[in-house]
Amino acid sequence: MDTGLIALGAGLAIAIAAGGAGLGIGLAAGKAFEATARQPELAGRIQTLLFTAIVFIEATAIYALVVSLLLIFAFR
Amino acid sequence: MNFLARLWDAIVGELRVGDIGEAMRDAIAVREAFHFSLLGIRIVVADSVVVTWGVMVLLAIAAFFLGRRLKEIPKGMQIAVEGLVDGVVSVCANAMDRKLAERTAPYVGTIGLFIAFSNLTSILKIPPPAKNPAFAIALALATIFYVIATGIRMVGLKGFWQSLLYPNKALLPFKLLDYMIKPISLSLRLFGNVFGAFILMEFIYIVVPAVIPGVLGLWFDIADGILQGLIFAYLTVIYIGEILENAHEAQARAKLQIRRRT
Repeated sequence: MDTGLIALGAGLAIAIAAGGAGLGIGLAAGKAFEATARQPELAGRIQTLLFTAIVFIEATAIYALVVSLLLIFAFR
Repeated sequence: MNFLARLWDAIVGELRVGDIGEAMRDAIAVREAFHFSLLGIRIVVADSVVVTWGVMVLLAIAAFFLGRRLKEIPKGMQIAVEGLVDGVVSVCANAMDRKLAERTAPYVGTIGLFIAFSNLTSILKIPPPAKNPAFAIALALATIFYVIATGIRMVGLKGFWQSLLYPNKALLPFKLLDYMIKPISLSLRLFGNVFGAFILMEFIYIVVPAVIPGVLGLWFDIADGILQGLIFAYLTVIYIGEILENAHEAQARAKLQIRRRT
């Protein structure tokens, strides 16, 4: 297979997913800060929720990472 | 400019792109530790399996010596270990009440510590076992079976069935699908994170063998590995909590409907 195209595909896969995940985590963190500023007494609970959300959002980026690693090492 | 070019040559030396690829492939390959034959079938034991045995022995010895001669008034190491156990129980208590949390804490704590210590082997330049997808898949499968079994033990078979039907009966296929996606997501998260960090560290070791791996290793070898163990344990708790919550809500709704009818 064409090595250049594979490299391009692997790069694109992780780039788009990382952009989306970054946007998602940014939105979640921003809202969490807003909520904490409004109700500082709920800071602990909000932090737990934020971490849970970040884990799930980050998972999408990790899937893309696995796909791009597969592209690089399995389809070379 | 000339100085920079010479410095670059000194650091990178004779390295070519092809060499990096070759070295990376060498680092990534799953090696065979030893093999034996059982009933004529050749069984290959990979190196990551041997590493997990080492971690198991280490944790078992630690558990044996730390759990011995416990005193009413804690002293020395016992305080630290009690703090750890209390931490695990309070993580479990996020999703369920204290009594149930103390029953799930042993599994959650074990899996968290096991993953954290397996990932920490990369400090010693031993490839972490989680870079082998089999490790991550095995742990994820064990966890999802544990989650379902614990859910059934805590709310009963009927409660588990109700939790599958909870917001709406039409969601049943999706809930069943969810139990297939959960282990995939768990294993891919663990494998992807550790494998990615491992490849990055190998790459940095090859390209810049001094100073920088030490700094980046603080995150990629130590913090990230422990974080993955924590996340895995935390997700186990969340999954169990989800079953409990759905079952309780379903039972509450059933009670409400009976009261309305009468």
